[in-house]
Amino acid sequence: MSLNDKLKDLRANGIDEAKRAERIQELNDLRVNLLGKKGPITKALRGMKDVPAEERPEIGTLANNVKQDIQSAIEEKMEELNRKIVAQKLEEETIDVTLPAQPSKYGTRHILNQTIEDIEEFFIGLGYRVDAGNEVEEDHYNFERLNIPQNHPARDMQDTFYLTDELLMRTQTSAQEGRDMESHDFSKGPLKVISPGVVYRRDDDDATHSHQFHQIEGLVVDKNVSMADLKGTLEALCRHVFGAEREIRFRPSYFPFTEPSVEVDVSCFNCGGKGCRICKYTGWIEVLGAGLSHPNVLEMSGIDSTVYSGFAFGLGPERFAMLKYGVNDIRDFYLNDVRFLEQFKGVN
Amino acid sequence: MKISVNWLKEYIPVTHTVDEMANKISLTGIESAPVHNGEGLDKLVVGHITSIKPHPDSDHLNITTVDVGEDEDKQIVCGAPNVANDQYVIVALHGAHLPEGKRIKRGKIRGEESDGMICGLDEIGVPVKYVPEAYHNGIYVFPEAVTPGTDALTALGLDDDMVDMDITPNRADTLGMRGAAWEIGATYDEKPSFTDAKIDESKVKENSDLTIEVENKELVPDFMVRVLKNVTVGESPLWMQRRLWNQNIQPVNNVIDAANYTMIEYGQPIQAYDLDKLENDSITVMNAHSGDKFTVDDGTNKVLNNNDLIVKSGDEILGLAGVAGGINARVTAETKNVVLESAVFDGAVVRKAAQRHDLRGDASNRFEKGVDNGAVSDALLRATQLVDENTNADEISQEIVGSYTEAKPTVIQGKISHINHLMGLELSSDEILNILDRLGFETKLDGDDLTVTVPTRRWDMSIEADVVEEVIRIYGYENLKGTLPAGMETAGGYSPKREFSNRLRNILLGQGMDEVINFALMNKQEAADFNVINTNYTKLLHPMTEDHEVLRTSLIPGLINNVAYNQARNNNDISIFEQARIFDRKDGVDRPKEVEYIAGAVSGNIAMDSWNTTAKAVDFYNVKAIVEELLSFANLDADFDYVATDKISNLHPGQTAEIIADGQAVGFIGKLHPDYQKEHSINDTFVFELNVDTLFGMEKRNVQAQTAPKYPSVSRDLAILVGKDIESGTLVKDIFANGGKYLSEVNIFDVYQGKNIKSNHKSLGYHLEFLNPEATLTDDQVEKAFDIIKDSLVQKFNVEIR
Ligand SMILES: [Zn+2]
Repeated sequence: MSLNDKLKDLRANGIDEAKRAERIQELNDLRVNLLGKKGPITKALRGMKDVPAEERPEIGTLANNVKQDIQSAIEEKMEELNRKIVAQKLEEETIDVTLPAQPSKYGTRHILNQTIEDIEEFFIGLGYRVDAGNEVEEDHYNFERLNIPQNHPARDMQDTFYLTDELLMRTQTSAQEGRDMESHDFSKGPLKVISPGVVYRRDDDDATHSHQFHQIEGLVVDKNVSMADLKGTLEALCRHVFGAEREIRFRPSYFPFTEPSVEVDVSCFNCGGKGCRICKYTGWIEVLGAGLSHPNVLEMSGIDSTVYSGFAFGLGPERFAMLKYGVNDIRDFYLNDVRFLEQFKGVN
Repeated sequence: MKISVNWLKEYIPVTHTVDEMANKISLTGIESAPVHNGEGLDKLVVGHITSIKPHPDSDHLNITTVDVGEDEDKQIVCGAPNVANDQYVIVALHGAHLPEGKRIKRGKIRGEESDGMICGLDEIGVPVKYVPEAYHNGIYVFPEAVTPGTDALTALGLDDDMVDMDITPNRADTLGMRGAAWEIGATYDEKPSFTDAKIDESKVKENSDLTIEVENKELVPDFMVRVLKNVTVGESPLWMQRRLWNQNIQPVNNVIDAANYTMIEYGQPIQAYDLDKLENDSITVMNAHSGDKFTVDDGTNKVLNNNDLIVKSGDEILGLAGVAGGINARVTAETKNVVLESAVFDGAVVRKAAQRHDLRGDASNRFEKGVDNGAVSDALLRATQLVDENTNADEISQEIVGSYTEAKPTVIQGKISHINHLMGLELSSDEILNILDRLGFETKLDGDDLTVTVPTRRWDMSIEADVVEEVIRIYGYENLKGTLPAGMETAGGYSPKREFSNRLRNILLGQGMDEVINFALMNKQEAADFNVINTNYTKLLHPMTEDHEVLRTSLIPGLINNVAYNQARNNNDISIFEQARIFDRKDGVDRPKEVEYIAGAVSGNIAMDSWNTTAKAVDFYNVKAIVEELLSFANLDADFDYVATDKISNLHPGQTAEIIADGQAVGFIGKLHPDYQKEHSINDTFVFELNVDTLFGMEKRNVQAQTAPKYPSVSRDLAILVGKDIESGTLVKDIFANGGKYLSEVNIFDVYQGKNIKSNHKSLGYHLEFLNPEATLTDDQVEKAFDIIKDSLVQKFNVEIR
């Protein structure tokens, strides 16, 4: 057999063996065996000395080609085997993605605080300060300064927990109005403040009453404050809380510390005003009370009521949350059953 | 008060349905609801009994024939004891619908045909307490002839449409039909017209023997009476009775009914007495003596005190002024001579008396909210007229006055521009004057200056702001366009302290804790359970229940209640916190300080048993980790120490630490005492509480950025054997104190006690990291520092290096 033929035979066998290999190790062995210094090709090339000089370059080229062809056959096969190994590994590592995860829990803010914070942030955006005030308050600020003197019939509307003759658990966050007004420097601009917090009434706890609940009082005093400003402000608030489509309406009412006083209704967010169980088939839901600051209230804080005017409003976060989420029993807010609390994850 | 549309029509034209009216009145003045009387009732007619005979088969039934306006009389069997021939009665015909779904059908009663039913008022929907006494146990009998076949509901006023106005305390002017007509008239731009009260002047006698003395004219600014002699007491006419029961007032007799009717018409309560039952010829209005006994006309007994105003004759108490008449001088069927009283009593005195004696009623409700002192005399005249018309008196006295205060209209000054400005509107002066005219107010305009003269019937009006309210509500709030205040820009926001507490809350939420809100008022025991700050209790003067009597001194008891509530419902794994105030009252001070706290409770498992994990119950160190993270985000320039304490009762003496920041106590963390847990039926629970105000007051960290170190750190492990009572924290402090400036971290990786360890000893393993941010540390440098650390531990704590 000529050297030429020998080399071609070696190539054919080498490629064949590479193709038949099943493990990486076989290929590595094949490379060493066929292409190594002690391999058959090297051995065969020793017969070069018997080849005529003019044929030698041709044989040389052939020998190189044979080496390269075997090399690429091995590499090709090597890649194929590697792909198989990876595929097999992936197959082995496949998991059931429907199995439950270990919880990585974020806590839930109490729904009342979510409601309060949502409203606070709305008013902060309009330039209001947040001033929480005291829960233990003087009769003076809780009543007298709000134009509710001793014996005023309005004191009947709210039975009060007294600590002493002078000290009480505040019955309304409006109690903060007097303190905010008397401490404000009007040369630095208008007074715009909301007072969120806990208030107390001498009530038996039942589905709609709680001896402790929350309120948010709002107060603006400046030189040009009007009923129209009050309406615009509350319109914006109700749209923020209950949806952009909401309308509000004012109905005349009575609070000793505002004149005029109004009750504010928002168009029903459930039926859009057509009438349903939630709005008692009226299309409207009463959500808060408001009015222009009574001149007596301004004057008692040393504010000239012929120059300045103000508006005030008060709303109940419990009522807002009960309406918005269909909570039927106010006591649920204070029982703190975690199953109740956690359903409000991320609502605000 | 419920406004009858039929009655209202006597004063103003009414063209709208009660539903429309109630809505409109609600939007312009007073919250109102429509009332449709008689809805669902039908086939009720007036019948005339034309014959009566006993039922042959019964000792109490009668067989009647009744003319119901049809061709033939109907035979109806009736069991009422008061049924008699020639009565005009209510007949429910065959097929009639009665209240509560009751249906009348012809049939046989003990063998006798009965084609319908003769009814009592209560059977057709009038509550028994408003039915005249005489008809309580039987059928109702009309006091006068009514055409048979007439709709009985109409004849009785029981199909009257009404508007129920739920007034605010300032609008008591509408607690009378006349005031209501003014209000509703203004709404519809209709001025009411009234007929003046008038009495038969020929009966009026100049003189009366009765004298009146009012002791305190401040509390009784008006008090006047008239006497009617030789009256005939009996039943009132039907038109009067039906208006009374529609007002939830029981018709009694034609004197008392006339007094009550006047109250509904004028809003002015009228009291009637039997003149002959007075002790003498004088009436005195005065304060009671404490301990005076008084029997109300319904027979209940009251003990008075000296704040009660009474009407007296000699030693006899005739009535509790403005609240209730007494039993002694009440007008009965036998009464011959009558005293009618019209007065104004101090609202607060009446309110308190009515409250004190549990006698709130129509009269006290009006006096406490105020009455029109310009109408006291008119109302008396009207009551006198009605009593006379009802009873045909022989003689009427002049007005006998005990006190009188001239009623003056209120004059309010305002400016058109200022009124517009407060409304946010630009109404012309004509528009404003027109609205005020609709309300019956007189106006005078001088340029921008407006003078409004308000009649006495609107005593709620006193200042310009009141005028603003009248104008804008009648103009219509629905016509007001909303704007936002246009003043100078202000920077809104939370107080720095609130921002700080918000941040702390967010950390705990991030640690997976749910937020709770508890009551600040708790029972005495709860307030004492965790009074760690050892403060005085703040108690309510008049608590409603023992459960809510004392202001909290700690947030922990509330959290424990929550854990118990949840675990009782099988929510066993609980991680909750609350941020709220506790009340810290110092010695000798009434007012407690309100201090912001944050507290948490964790109970049950922090990891669950699942397909790839095993359950892990919470321990002290899990909760300590939460607190440490919380404190690191508090961003304080302070070192925190956890100092073991056995001083907090109700906490485990071996698993509790006080948290000290640079020597100052800021809170605690610990496991509940097993006894306390048992008492509250809860599982192992760990709690912590921190004083937010104290933390907020501390120096904040001043952060100066440093580049992250470029050189590698070098580590050493240290294993020691040490007495078991020596706390790791103490050792770590000593390691840092001696480790030199390159010692950056000390982490404990092993704690072991028990087998193969000397008794009363423990083995600890620490991992120390040394780092020089400026250069690579040499082994030499590290070894030197490590030796100093070890030497110190050996010397000070007698440790054995292993
Ligand atoms: Zn609705």
